[in-house]
Amino acid sequence: MDIIVCIKRVPQTAEAKVEIESSGKDIVKDRLTFDINESDTYALEEAVLLKEKFGGTITVISLGCSDADDTLRIALAKGADTAIRIKAEDFDELDGYKTAQLLSAVIKDIHFDVIFTGCIATDDAYSQIGATLAELLGIPHATLVTNIEVIDSISHVHRELEGGLQEHIEIFLPALFTIQTGINVPRYASLIAIKRAAGKEIKLVGQNEISKDQLLLNTQIEELFIPPVAKQVKIITGSPGEVSEELAGIIREKGLI
Amino acid sequence: MNFDLTNDQKMLQREVRNFAETELAPVAPQIDVSGEFPWDNIKKMAKLGLLGIIVPEKYGGSEFDFVSLAVAIEEISRICASTGVIVAVNNSLVSYPILQFGTEEQKEKYLPPLCSGDKLGAMGITEPNAGSDVAAMESTAKLEGNHYILNGTKRFITNGGEAGIFIVFAYTNKDLKHKGISAFIVERDTAGFSLGKHEDLMGIRATANCELIFEDAKIPKENLLGKESDGFKICMNTLDVSRIDIGAQAVGIAQGALEEAIKYSKERKAFGQIISNFEMIQGMLAEMATQIHAARLLVYYAGYCKDKGIPPRFSKEAAMSKYFAANMAVDVTRKAVQIYGGYGYTKDYVVERLYRDAKILELYEGTAEIHKIVIARELLK
Amino acid sequence: MSEIFMLIEHRQDAIRDISYEMMTCGRALAEKLNTKLTAVFLGYDADKLVESIRNQAHRIMVVDNEVFKEFNAESYQIALAEIIKKENPLLTLIGHTAFGMDLCPALGTQLGIPFTTDCLDVEIIDGKLIATRQMYDGKLNAKIRFRENPSYLVSLRTGCFPVRDSNIEAEIVNIESPVSAEPDYRKFVEYIEAAIGDVDITKADVVVGVGRGIKKKENLALVEDFASTIGGVVACSRPIVDAEWLPKDRQVGSSGKTVKPKLYITLGISGAFQHVVGMKNSGTIIAINKDPNAPIFNEADYGIVDDLFRVLPAFKNSILEMKSK
Repeated sequence: MDIIVCIKRVPQTAEAKVEIESSGKDIVKDRLTFDINESDTYALEEAVLLKEKFGGTITVISLGCSDADDTLRIALAKGADTAIRIKAEDFDELDGYKTAQLLSAVIKDIHFDVIFTGCIATDDAYSQIGATLAELLGIPHATLVTNIEVIDSISHVHRELEGGLQEHIEIFLPALFTIQTGINVPRYASLIAIKRAAGKEIKLVGQNEISKDQLLLNTQIEELFIPPVAKQVKIITGSPGEVSEELAGIIREKGLI
Repeated sequence: MNFDLTNDQKMLQREVRNFAETELAPVAPQIDVSGEFPWDNIKKMAKLGLLGIIVPEKYGGSEFDFVSLAVAIEEISRICASTGVIVAVNNSLVSYPILQFGTEEQKEKYLPPLCSGDKLGAMGITEPNAGSDVAAMESTAKLEGNHYILNGTKRFITNGGEAGIFIVFAYTNKDLKHKGISAFIVERDTAGFSLGKHEDLMGIRATANCELIFEDAKIPKENLLGKESDGFKICMNTLDVSRIDIGAQAVGIAQGALEEAIKYSKERKAFGQIISNFEMIQGMLAEMATQIHAARLLVYYAGYCKDKGIPPRFSKEAAMSKYFAANMAVDVTRKAVQIYGGYGYTKDYVVERLYRDAKILELYEGTAEIHKIVIARELLK
Repeated sequence: MSEIFMLIEHRQDAIRDISYEMMTCGRALAEKLNTKLTAVFLGYDADKLVESIRNQAHRIMVVDNEVFKEFNAESYQIALAEIIKKENPLLTLIGHTAFGMDLCPALGTQLGIPFTTDCLDVEIIDGKLIATRQMYDGKLNAKIRFRENPSYLVSLRTGCFPVRDSNIEAEIVNIESPVSAEPDYRKFVEYIEAAIGDVDITKADVVVGVGRGIKKKENLALVEDFASTIGGVVACSRPIVDAEWLPKDRQVGSSGKTVKPKLYITLGISGAFQHVVGMKNSGTIIAINKDPNAPIFNEADYGIVDDLFRVLPAFKNSILEMKSK
């Protein structure tokens, strides 16, 4: 089974302060740490599990600047065989659609049975690249996948719906799946695997290989801004004892328990 | 000149950091209180190859260099000092001397279980009456037929309570003074070998620190490490290497303390503003960062000397890095507690633990005084 | 002026809330542009459901065929593409739900029209479409403009358009289905209901929600203890279920349950949209989190910026003291 995994290196913003850069269209990145996007780690692990079961190869692809090489190498250490970086620096402004077009331009020349992506990237939060890519490649897809079993080139897939409900669907391969977190337990790369991966070449694809002329942007960021506060929170300060007493007072006053 | 880590070192750093933050962080405060040995995590680390970082692949190791070893120990210690020590001991105090001085048979027999975590390593030098003064040790080993008969007590042995493979030093010829010391590989189930007092330590509390008691313990002759009377040389050579690790532990612990202190100083308010606005707090943070950076460079450089095979310089560099870094870690963690104020003196905050964990660095594997002697000896040659 | 279209989302014989939200949004846009809102209903045996939303749109296009009984992105896409190509609406709205995530990007790509996903708001200013999206773990919003085109497609986030009453009488237009069977390559098999656990978090008056900040499974005992002191139940955000520390039926949020207790206390929850959508209508929300910038503080009534493990023991004591009085 030949598998392609699309991964992305993203700023880790969940617990960091995010500031807007002077252009108003991007964030200040120099104090943020970057790492592989969370659901992409699950996508990669799912690929490794499938490869362990059926054999075959894993190709990881990332659209990014040279820093993304580190992310690709970690993926190689975790079980990918080949890594390709699409040089983001060659392609100016990006959105989800353009990203999918670039990925498709590379993938159309590679043999694959399955493509995995994460179900959402935590930076731009589109949740659209997987389904767009599948459409561009002319293959079926399923998003928010929480379980996959492949029997005779038919995949039995569980998708996560709302309210704890899931659906079971059948999809013919080749197909694309966007992977939800929690589907597996991603592994760490062993030191030996790291050593082997460190020397591996990362194939670069840039404007010489992909013509920029036909690439389209659907959208552009006009401006970033801090979300308006939905509700004015009252921050209670003091020692744990003091804040607890105040909270208990509020709970009693409002008759909440 | 190049100060960058290589690709594989960067990846190792990233992966070990990830592992430490995910797997070690939740357990670290708990084992500090209970003193429970973190076997679960040790087994996981064995799978990643962290127990045999410098051991060649053919013996089950990962075959990285000493700079990489330092990077790994630093990342582990940044989150859990106890785990950092356990891994460091297995790598440089036990696997390294076997690799360096062992016979092919010894390497094939003992390195694979040390790397796989099936058996953990510990080293016995220190005795109740012999710490820095190694030559004052009282343990003896007498050859009788095919066995050495080992007698004596070893004290403050990291991993002692949980290890399966020990390197133990004892006199085979007391007349030769320190040149009469020999080194032995001792297995846990050796008849006449028992565990003594389990130490209740101030810091690094989950390291199974234990007394080893040998009463006519029968050590097979082939378990002599190196030749008879090689013990002192093996000991000094091993401690040189191990000093890189201690330095790396120091850098890791201090880095953890600095990060906590920065976070806290940006949240804690006093006199109507966050305390990081105060210049005296800023001064402390700047000092801490500079101290850590200096120590890290010393430690990596010592590892570099070892990797490049620059022996005389290496001995001095290793001593410098351990002496400086240990001192630095105690001072940096003390400052971290100071920034936290009264809260830093409570068990609610991690800096209290880091301060206790740091203190051991100034005590084990050579006091500052011993290191200064090593350095001065090189200077005055 | 061309129209605003929206796709009705339904499942298991019920119209989903997002449909009403989209129709509220769509009517407002239509009114501003002096045009009409068309709801597109793909379904089976649809009369009753169609009738139930008749007051919500100016026109309802109904494609009634067994193939649309359950959602299937592929057959829905074929039908919708036909309709949009023919009608050429200015804007089509789809829900950014499990349903819409499968459908919207593929549909937009097939049609070659500019689209984007997960919008909190859409406006048409001087004939140009502007959408608001959220980025970077909900810490920033972005205003987005589109490549100019006669027709656009966006998916809307749930919970962003408070549903308003409407009293229009929709014209019903029945359309022949362009598809008659599910494609071979994608078939719906069945729904899998969540396992029913011992606690129903949707019925509790007090819910204590825990997130990543809990650090490790063992700490749940502390939270359970606190919850029982305060007379509540323990719920959680997604990462806790991913780590298998709590069962799926304790998860609050878009892929879990929606709760509306009198009191919701969050412990170490950052406040990702996916969680907030399931609890923001709680009576009173108290949030405890170390990160002063955590988005949860935008939803809470009361906030404590501190380590939850420092606050929890004291909080428990204060509750005990209060109860003893």
